[in-house]
Order: sequence, then structure tokens, then C-alpha cells
Amino acid sequence: MNAGNALFIVGALLCLVGALSTVIARSPIRAAMGLLITIIGIASLFLKLSAQFLAAIQIIVYAGAVVVLFVFVIMLIGADTSAGPPKSGGSVGSRIVAGGGMAVLSGLGLLLLARFDGQPVRFGPAAVGHGDVEAVGGLLFREAIIPFELATALLIVAVIGAIAVARSKARPRPAPPESHESKRLFHGPLHPRDAQRPLSKEPAE
Amino acid sequence: MPLTSVLLLSMALFCIGVFGVLSRRNAIGILLGVELMANAVNINLVAFSRFQGGVVGQVFAVFAIALTVAEVVVGLALVILLYRSRKDVRVDEANALSG
Amino acid sequence: MTFDVVYGLSPLLVVALGALLLMLAEAFGKPNPQGLAPTGEVSDAGAGRAGELGMGAAVVLFVGAALSLGVWLAGPDNLVGLELTRPYLIWDRFTVFVCFTLCLGGGLSCLLAGGYLTEHEIDRAEFFPLVLFSTVGAMALAAAGELLTLFVALETMSLGVYALVGLRRTPRSSEAALKYFLLGSFAAALMLFGAALLYGATGRTDLAGIGQAIAAIGQGEGPGAAQVLIALVLVVVGLAFKVSAVPFHMWTPDAYEGAPTPATSYMAVAVKTAAFAVMVRVLLIAFGDERLTSWASGWPPVLATLAVASMTVANLVAGRQSSVKRMLAYSSIAHAGYALVAVVATIRSPAAEGSILFYLLTYTVSTAGAFGALILCGSRGKEAVSYEDLAGIAKRHPAAAMAFSLFLLSLAGVPPTAGFFGKLYVFQAAIDAELYVLTVVGLLNSLVGAYYYLRVIVFMYMREPAPGATLAVPMRSGYVASALVIAAVLVIALGVLPNVTLEWAAIATVGRS
Repeated sequence: MNAGNALFIVGALLCLVGALSTVIARSPIRAAMGLLITIIGIASLFLKLSAQFLAAIQIIVYAGAVVVLFVFVIMLIGADTSAGPPKSGGSVGSRIVAGGGMAVLSGLGLLLLARFDGQPVRFGPAAVGHGDVEAVGGLLFREAIIPFELATALLIVAVIGAIAVARSKARPRPAPPESHESKRLFHGPLHPRDAQRPLSKEPAE
Repeated sequence: MPLTSVLLLSMALFCIGVFGVLSRRNAIGILLGVELMANAVNINLVAFSRFQGGVVGQVFAVFAIALTVAEVVVGLALVILLYRSRKDVRVDEANALSG
Repeated sequence: MTFDVVYGLSPLLVVALGALLLMLAEAFGKPNPQGLAPTGEVSDAGAGRAGELGMGAAVVLFVGAALSLGVWLAGPDNLVGLELTRPYLIWDRFTVFVCFTLCLGGGLSCLLAGGYLTEHEIDRAEFFPLVLFSTVGAMALAAAGELLTLFVALETMSLGVYALVGLRRTPRSSEAALKYFLLGSFAAALMLFGAALLYGATGRTDLAGIGQAIAAIGQGEGPGAAQVLIALVLVVVGLAFKVSAVPFHMWTPDAYEGAPTPATSYMAVAVKTAAFAVMVRVLLIAFGDERLTSWASGWPPVLATLAVASMTVANLVAGRQSSVKRMLAYSSIAHAGYALVAVVATIRSPAAEGSILFYLLTYTVSTAGAFGALILCGSRGKEAVSYEDLAGIAKRHPAAAMAFSLFLLSLAGVPPTAGFFGKLYVFQAAIDAELYVLTVVGLLNSLVGAYYYLRVIVFMYMREPAPGATLAVPMRSGYVASALVIAAVLVIALGVLPNVTLEWAAIATVGRS
């Protein structure tokens, strides 16, 4: 066994261990850490498959941004609330559905692999410069410039969408403790609107 | 090293991801499962790219990463929104599946 | 040449630029104190200006529609240099026709939002840039001739819509948005896996190249054929999810009900139109191989099953809904079923592609109009939700009831309206393709569907409201009214003079080999 194969085996083991702990761990933080391990394993696989640039991207973007974002949100909403105790009944049903779905997919995968079995498909030697920044960048900016430009629209949509959805009620206007009309006029925010609108929005009946 | 073993690994990761999506009750867990699936796709793309000899597959993987990240941003924003209004991010998937 | 390229792509470019300008207008404009919602939220500069921003967005989208018309008249094939964008964007007559439909549907939804957001005091000026960017994604999706563009465009469209669903911020609508998002990203991941397999089997990412490579793999039993089949299954699942065909429809009623009504209208018309456009292109170009389009060993029986299930299940469930909005959601699932009939018909009938485009256009104007009429029938605190809310509204507000009836009749497919000809040409294409069973099922379903559309009309015209019940009070808004007028004119025009549009739709093909 040479060094390259060892890299593959280590990477594959990291992937599987990480993936299993991602879907099994009770605590969401542990699940996110499982994803981190998977990502590191995948990055080492990318190195083995001569995709150096992607290996770097994988670490920078996934480990550096995505997992951090996950951990951030888990911490924001509290690790306990999101874990939740498994309810009796519902969880069993969902496990059965999940097992069924997985079985179907594994069957499809085995079918796929069985077709490969006849001729062992091996990787040839990699071309010089395959997967370095120059090759990927050249294709990205010369050939695939249109999807690249479209990706800007994608990112803007993601940013606006996230802001629109998660924008908080950060500056609640101070509401008076009681809804007596005269008090509200003077203690509430003095806004031209208040003079013209009925103070109470509830229907009269 | 055969292509088949890489494909087997990516298929395994994908199935684990699907299992995670279908068995989790809370939204963050489901989103993590989707992440696993996307990563399995990336392994596939890179392996095929190495096998076919062009870097198109790797560029595809770069775009796939961008897609997933954008998805995660919006998804986590929705998680926060739901948490604010309900103080709970468990999705009742019995409801989600039967509708 | 440069001018030709820019002119050709102008519908896409104008909408993208307009979205950026609207963002700037929202960020640097003055907040309008009159329209501020007393919800105590942070008020940004665009707050209270939903009406004006909606008008701006609608103008941008209608300009996009006009430019699509201009490009159509000039002929995309005559514009020098436009073919340079291939294979990433295929800017042919098919694309331009779909762009027109998308801009029209988006523009109508923005006009509706201008009235709706103001009336219901939802301070969400982000609505409009989201709709515009989502439309950019939808147009690129309709034009996508290559997997990279396809996925980027698909996600651009979808992410905008996920955010739109969550804008109402009630617990129910947040949960609907999150569910829609989770199921949507799950479907996208499945489809992405399918695309990766496709690339592995063929070594190509452009649809035409994939099509040729699949034809070359042909009858073989090698690894390639199995990969192609699995990829086909995964891609079809992903697309069926986007067009909300049964059994991939479970998100639809919740998401449609939870979203603000203009966003529902946008989802129902634009997302569905773009998804059907890309479905036709992917199935006919990439999976257009003889073996995969044959009834015995390809996608037609799968899609036919989806079509029958969508029409039947949706029509049966729609009749049992008590909420009109939910009923319209199920009606949109049923309409996806009719359009799927036409997609199946493309295997044998060359006219089927045109019938899909024409059907999508008629569906767009009727559905946007129906949701608009639903918006018009309610006002803040007195929304029209259930059938009972609409009881006797014809006496109190005859114009609203008349408009609603017109769009419902069009959705049901009653003769002098657009919907009748849409359905007629779909079924004609199905008969051409010798799909008699599908045609009969579709016709029977149209009859069943008429029941729940007519039930709304019966409630509006023949029922008296129960004493003491809260009544829906129609709102007053020039924006909503103008959107309804535009939609009504188009519904009648397409119903009385369908010929020109139909001839145009007939020459807009995806150019399969």
C-alpha cells in the first residue's frame, strides 16, 4: 500500500465516521462537528484525486464558513431547544421512512456498481496541471463566464433573502403600559400618523 | 485505485445524508443531512473529472459549493425566523410528508 | 454585433438592472410616514413605500415583457452574435416566449403586492428586489442549455421564493417556508446527484452534448446506461417537485397558504412556468434519445403517471377545501397535471411544445388574475379566506365578484376565455400523439374541476351571508385594480383571438435533433 492509497483510506474513514456522527448525534453541536470531520476527509480525498484548488476551497468555504455558521446559529437559538427529546411514536415512523428511503437509494447504488463490475475502471495517470488554480480558473473565467455572472445574482438573492427573513424587531417603539388614549398620544412616539389614524387597530365590534 | 471505490464512498455518504434528512426532526439536523448529500455530489464530480480528464467537473463542484452555501444562508435565516416565532425549530415531518 | 447581443439579452439585463436600482431606491429613499406599519419594527428607508416600489418593479417587468416582444419580432436568430452565449444560454424563440410569460406574471404579481403590502401593513420592501432577481433566475432557467447555468438559475429562482414565503412572519407561514425550503433543497440535492451521474456517464455538461452521448451509449448495457437511467429518475423527481406534481406536491398547499398572496401568485405562475420550460428542454434535448422517449423504456410512462395522479388527486382534494386560497393551490397542482399531459405528448406530436407554451401563458394570466381578485375581495382584518367570507359579495361589490368569476371561469376552461383554448390545444396535442387515455382522464378532470371553481361563483352570487358572520370587505387599491384590468383584458383577448399567439407559440420550439 503506497502513500496515496493510505491518504484515500484515511480520508474515506474520516468521511464515514463524520457522516455517521452527523446523522446520529443527539446534540446539534456534535452533529455539526461531525460535518466538519467529513469535510476534512473529503478535502484529503480531493488531494488524492488531484483537485488541489478544490481541496483548499473545501476547507476555506465549508469548514471556515458553513460549519461556523451552523455553530453560530445553534448557539444563537440554544443547543437544548433544537435537540429536543425524541417524541415517542413519531420518531419510530420517521426512522422507518428513512430506512426505506436509504434502502431504495442503496439498491440503486449497488445496481450502478454492479454494472461497473465487469471491467475494473481505474484512474489513469493525471494530466500535468490537472486541477490546479490555473486550469480551474481558466475554465471558470473563459468558458463558464455566463454561469459565473449568474452566480452573482444567486448570491445577492441569498443575501437579500436572508436579511428580509431574519431581520429582527431590533428597535421596538416604546409602547405605553396602558392603552388609555390620551396617554398614548403623549407618551408614545409622536408621529404624524398618530394624528390621522385611529389609535386602536382592532375592529370596533 | 479504482473509480468504483470512490463512487461507493460517495454513494454511502449520499445515503447517510438521505437517512439524516428523513430521520431528523429538527430543522438544523435536516439541513446538515442536505449538506452531506451535497458533499457526496462533490466527491462524485471530482472523481469523474479526474477520470474523464477535463476540469469541467471541478468547475461544476465549485458552483455546487456556491449553491450549497447560498442555500445554507437562506435556510438558517428561516430557522432563526421560525425560532423567533415559536421558540422551537422542530419540524413535524409527519405533517411535512403527508401535507 | 455588440448591440445585437445586448438587445437580444435585454429582457434579462433590464430586469437585473431594475432589481439593483430598486434596491438602491429602497436603501436611500425617504421613508413614508403615512404608510408605516405600527408594528414597532425597524423602519428602513423603503418602509411605507410598498405601493411606489411595487409600481417600479411592475414597470421594470413590463418593460422586460415589451423587450421580449421586440426580440421576438426581430427574431433571435437574426441577431448576430447571440449564438455566442450557447450552450450556457440558448436564446431561441422558445426562451423569448417564456421570458414574455415570466415577465408578465411577475409584473402582475408586483402590482398586486403594491396594493396588498400597503393594505396589510407588511413593511417588506425587500419583496420587490427578491421577485425581480428571482425572475432573472427564472428567465435564465428557461434559457439554460447547460447544467452549470441550469443549477445556478434554478437556485436563484428558488432562494428568492423561499424568502418570499417567509415574509409574513406568522408562526404558520414561517413553518411553511422552512418546510418548503427543506424539501426544496432536498430535491435540489437529489437533482444535483443526478447531474453528477450524467456528467460521469457522458463527460459533457451541455444538454446537446449529453443528448448525443446518450444516443451513442444507446442500447448498451454498460455502466453508462445504468447511470443515465438513475440520473433520469433523479432529475425527473427534482423537476416534478418544482412544478409540484403529485406525489411531490406536499409542500404546495402549506407554502401557498402561508405566503403573502402576491407571493403565492408569483410562485404559482412564474416558478411553474420556468420549471416547465426547463423540463421540456432537458427531457427533449438531453433525454431525447429514441430509446428514452419510447413508451416502453423511457420517461413518458413516468410523466404520464405523474400527470394522471396530479390531475385526479388535486381535483378531488381541492373540492374539499374550506379555504379559497388552499383551493387555488390545489387547482395549480391540477393545472401542472394538464401541462404534464402536453409534455408527454411532445414524444409524438410536434405541436405539443407550442401547446405547452400557450397553456402556460393562459394559465399565467388566469391564475394571477384569480389571486388578484382574492386580494381585492379582502381588506386588513377582513380578509377573504373561506367560501363563507365571500357569500353575497356580488351584491356589495359587483366589480370584484365579476372579475373573480371571469378568472375562475378561465381556470375551469369555459369557452370564451383564455383557459378554454389553453386546454383545447393541450388535449389536441395529446390526441395527435395518440394518447387517448390521458386525454379522456384530462377531460373528466376538467369536469370535476369545474365543480369547485363554480362553487366560489355560487357563493358569491347566490348565497346570503349568515347573520352576524364577519364579512370580507373589498379593499380599494389602484394597483390591484390595474393588475386585474390587465389580466382580464388578456384573458378575454386570448379567448376571443387566440390565433396569432398560437401561431407564435407553434414556431417556438426547443429545436430537438
